[in-house]
Amino acid sequence: MKKLAPLFFIGLTLIGLIMLLIGCQENADSSVSPQTGVGGSMARFAITGNTLYIVSKESLEVYDIANAGNPVKAQKKDMNVGIETIFPYQNHLFIGANDGMYIYNNSNPNNPSFVTKYTHIQSCDPVVVQGQYAYVTLRSGVACRLGNTFSSLDVVDVSNKSQPVMVSTQAMTSPYGLGVSGNKLFVCEGENGFKVMDITEPRNPVLKHHFEDLPSYDVIVRNNNLIITGEKGLFQYRYDNSDNVEFLSKIPVL
Amino acid sequence: MKNILPIFLLLFASLSCITDDSVPFNGIEFDGTGYRPIYATAEEVAKIQIQEPRLLSKPGKIYLLDPYIFVNESGEGIHVINNSDPKNPENLSFISIPGNYDMAAKGSWLYADNMSNMVVFDISDPKSPKLTKTIADAIPVNNYPSFRNIYFECAEDKKGIVIGWEKVPMSERPKCYR
Repeated sequence: MKKLAPLFFIGLTLIGLIMLLIGCQENADSSVSPQTGVGGSMARFAITGNTLYIVSKESLEVYDIANAGNPVKAQKKDMNVGIETIFPYQNHLFIGANDGMYIYNNSNPNNPSFVTKYTHIQSCDPVVVQGQYAYVTLRSGVACRLGNTFSSLDVVDVSNKSQPVMVSTQAMTSPYGLGVSGNKLFVCEGENGFKVMDITEPRNPVLKHHFEDLPSYDVIVRNNNLIITGEKGLFQYRYDNSDNVEFLSKIPVL
Repeated sequence: MKNILPIFLLLFASLSCITDDSVPFNGIEFDGTGYRPIYATAEEVAKIQIQEPRLLSKPGKIYLLDPYIFVNESGEGIHVINNSDPKNPENLSFISIPGNYDMAAKGSWLYADNMSNMVVFDISDPKSPKLTKTIADAIPVNNYPSFRNIYFECAEDKKGIVIGWEKVPMSERPKCYR
């Protein structure tokens, strides 16, 4: 198995290069239909196609919005208490909860089916997914992580949805929302700023920029634009494929 | 190391059972502040208004439906922003919704939480969204703050519906913790 590892990485690099060359980098945006919007990773509401998903503290509520002005309840899935966030990706729902990450298959959108609960993560915080990897921030606090006060960013291989495997973890300060697109991962560090990480090697995010003066709570990444909220207001930036990040605007808190 | 973990867990579990005031829950010291419920009546909760754009105060979650950005004002409603020019976003209106933290949008419709209710707005004219539907008890809610490792005054049903929490100085440690 060890002998295969270098081959695997060379393979990944090649795939990455090919994707860059033909300019069809896959990212979360591609799953969004033009009519539907996109939320941040802290969201409890998510829409895919004609279905609205709402996670309450202890359930997944499913509404049919084929007739958009008149949502009709389609399903309710009872869950454990402590549900926090929902992130749809392709035909799965990734649900962040205090006691782990739940994965539902929503190939049948109005009746998602439970796939697995990944309890290795004791988390209060959100998850985003790109390709075969889920990125999860875990904010410190014993109520979130039993007997542990370590905040982290974890990378979980979710290529086998019924058997997620953690592949790396690294320390964070006070992480909240996060966003992913192409080879960039963005992490809101609460009052400790905003981080831009390189995930050219997706299993191993590398810190590129730390904007310490930009308190951040949640982020939306769309077409190389960043929309960030935090205690100082709403900030927008544009980044390119080198590591430049350009300030666009802010709506300050007053 | 492997042997130490169960002992820690045991210690942790035993600590969590102690209610003696001198021992803080889960080892978190009471720092003289706690969260206090903000109560409202059912009538107040149902009071949803379209208002002039207002300044951001405590921005929370965000939702993008090009070219509009919806920004939650924690517990209070939604700022509707025209982001056609990201260098010059324009604040169009504010939808005042008690107990609002979340939203999503599709086409010309915006969905939001209003405490345990789901409310639907027609946003064809984003300067003046229209409330078109309220679905009661769509979202089971809990009577505790969204924060963790904090002390808070336990909510009491007879005082009304909890629409938010404020952090205030407290002379003694409140009874609830999460």
